[in-house]
Amino acid sequence: MMLRVSARYYDGANAARRNVRVILAEDGTALTILGGPSAQAIHWPLGRLRALPGRAVPTRMILALHKPLHSRDALLLDPARLDIGDPPLIAALQARCPHLMRRDLRTGVARRLVQRGALAVAALAVMLFMILPRMADMLAGLIPVEREVAFGRAVVAQIEAALGAADLGAADIGPLDCAAPEGRAALEAMTARLTDGTDLAYPLEIKVLNHEMVNAFAAPGGQIVIMRGLLEKAGGADAVAAVLAHEIGHVEARDATRNALRAAGSAGLLSMVMGDVTGGAAAVFLGERVMQASYTREAEIEADLFALQLLNGANVSSRGMAEFFAALAEGGSPALPVYLSSHPVSAGRAVHAEANATRQSNTAPVISDAQWAALRRICDARIRQR
Amino acid sequence: MSSTLKGEYGGTARALFWLALRTAMLTTLTLGIYRFWSKTRIRQYVWSAVSADGDSFEYTGTGLEKFLGFLAAIVVLALYLGAVQMILFYFGLTIFGSAETQVQAQAFSQFGALGVTSLAVMPLVFFAHYRARRHKLSRTRWRGLRFAAEAGAWGYVWRAMWHWALTLMSLGLLLPRMTFCLEKYKADRSWYGDAPFHQGGRWQGLYPAMKHLVIGAGLILLSGAFALSGAWVMMSLWGVLGVIWIGVGALSYKIHSFTYLARHLSLGDMGAIKFDAAPDTWTILWQMISGGLLVSLATGAALALLGAIPLAMIGSDALPFGLAIIPLVLGYMLALAISSALSLIWVTQPILRHVVAGCLLHGASVLDGVVQRNADTDTDAEGFADALDIGGAL
Repeated sequence: MMLRVSARYYDGANAARRNVRVILAEDGTALTILGGPSAQAIHWPLGRLRALPGRAVPTRMILALHKPLHSRDALLLDPARLDIGDPPLIAALQARCPHLMRRDLRTGVARRLVQRGALAVAALAVMLFMILPRMADMLAGLIPVEREVAFGRAVVAQIEAALGAADLGAADIGPLDCAAPEGRAALEAMTARLTDGTDLAYPLEIKVLNHEMVNAFAAPGGQIVIMRGLLEKAGGADAVAAVLAHEIGHVEARDATRNALRAAGSAGLLSMVMGDVTGGAAAVFLGERVMQASYTREAEIEADLFALQLLNGANVSSRGMAEFFAALAEGGSPALPVYLSSHPVSAGRAVHAEANATRQSNTAPVISDAQWAALRRICDARIRQR
Repeated sequence: MSSTLKGEYGGTARALFWLALRTAMLTTLTLGIYRFWSKTRIRQYVWSAVSADGDSFEYTGTGLEKFLGFLAAIVVLALYLGAVQMILFYFGLTIFGSAETQVQAQAFSQFGALGVTSLAVMPLVFFAHYRARRHKLSRTRWRGLRFAAEAGAWGYVWRAMWHWALTLMSLGLLLPRMTFCLEKYKADRSWYGDAPFHQGGRWQGLYPAMKHLVIGAGLILLSGAFALSGAWVMMSLWGVLGVIWIGVGALSYKIHSFTYLARHLSLGDMGAIKFDAAPDTWTILWQMISGGLLVSLATGAALALLGAIPLAMIGSDALPFGLAIIPLVLGYMLALAISSALSLIWVTQPILRHVVAGCLLHGASVLDGVVQRNADTDTDAEGFADALDIGGAL
């Protein structure tokens, strides 16, 4: 059976359209085009035929000839085009052309991909890990303290709201702030003992939130938040004092402010890389989390050193700190991973604290047993009030 | 062959919807890398749906070249933005240091830094816009001939900056001048085969297109007058009306200026080929409002449906909260992909169909004399446009 149909032919040299006849012989190896620009028939070998991809009108097929060399387009195709709309011919071509739908690639594409990819990754890495952190450090030192404090309060309020909303089991909705007077007094006594004689850049605002999470964190501008869960799971007042001293270290180093600035900058860059993708924001968030983890490690070590200094200055034993970290490293409590995620732990931290403790002398508990009992009940007042 | 050709659009909602949805999901799953191929495939579809006299357009761009261009642009952008940020930072420090009052210092850190940063990005945005247009033309064919645009991105950048400054300083009165001059700059550097485009007309000819913008501005002035005399109800009434009128006026301006420019566009050395367009503001406005409404309703429904399943699983304790995040995020992404695909078929495509159907080409008999122009080899695909996220789906 020989197929003989009419079609549209564009020779790629000028804009004229030619109505041609196309012949596909039963056992032929080429498509024959009659009535083209010259009197001679044009033969397109079936092996070199390509159909243009992604056409909107499925009843027509546009054919072109594969041309591996000297193509001026991104596609490796000869400029001439043949537009056919005859279903039997289309079916026959689909059956007989081995590479009809093949996407031909230029030689050396893989090498260029690798080269450019490596360059792009290097440029991004320089920005993300060298330039942006330096900028964040500079900027953090530039922000006026009062605005940093306002920013920090906003952050804490947001976290409070998020915890309140996420805590589906909690019956009450409202401020989670724990403020039993005796407990506050104990907390203030602990803070005063730790910071006595130390000149702090920020007035500290320490809050205890009524949440079972075993965690504590420092927000910008002297804001420190301790969760009820930490008071319950910590081995004693000295361990809480160690955590508090550690967070004061973060405050003094302006770590939270720096993190916020750096997050803003790198999120901008990452979203440029990801593009405006559906769900791109989520991907950016994940990327940011990964970077945050690598960044906080050194900040954690610094804050630990600062905490040990405070403890030594106040003659508080760092054994509580060592025990707390040891418990963390063992993963004793199922609630602890939360603390781990924001405070990467290593056995080294417990060892350092323990070594420091053996060098200490004349230590005394950071607060009295009665005060410690009061601190642990700091969230009870609210429950009684209700 | 008739001497006047009419635009036709042959795309269907169903095919485009599945294409857009599939490619959007692939884009999400590949963390955005597939977006270059996604854009390519949607363009292949739309280009091939547009035809005149049965001859359809062809998009020859590839995802791979877009990706390569993007990688190159990332290097330049990361370093440029980094360097510019550092220099700005230095100036920020010195200005900050010499600021005499707290107010000044705060004003700088709030607006100054932001403003200067966007000023640093602005030339790049114009640069990317011109380069993207140039690349798009070089990858567009009709009847086997390539379109093309000459290199001229930097000339476009400084002209665009200058015209924007003028327009802002004249409170928008010179907007037609900006529209006309920038369009003329682009059109006069564009080619179909070896036939150059030429933008005729005068910039003052765009003033009638501004009619509704002026009425909207007048209403806002009226509202301001009421505010001065303390008539707050009247003020808010006229103010709201004025804002809506300005919004509609902006669309009307875009459509009418497009029509004016199309009617004064010609192709060929002698300008023998002329164009015409007849888009209707109300048809397009209605399509935007009704289509937009449908899209947001469907998106809401999709979000509710796809969000309800994981939430129900948490409720019945079938899944721990931490694990439930995964289906939640996937459902959210699927809903967003559905939303973008729907807006493509309910808003973008109908408007495109309407605009294309109103386009005419006069003097088609001259077309046979147009021959292929040498290809440009130095296009960087749309790397910058992709990195700065300009241009949307098409």
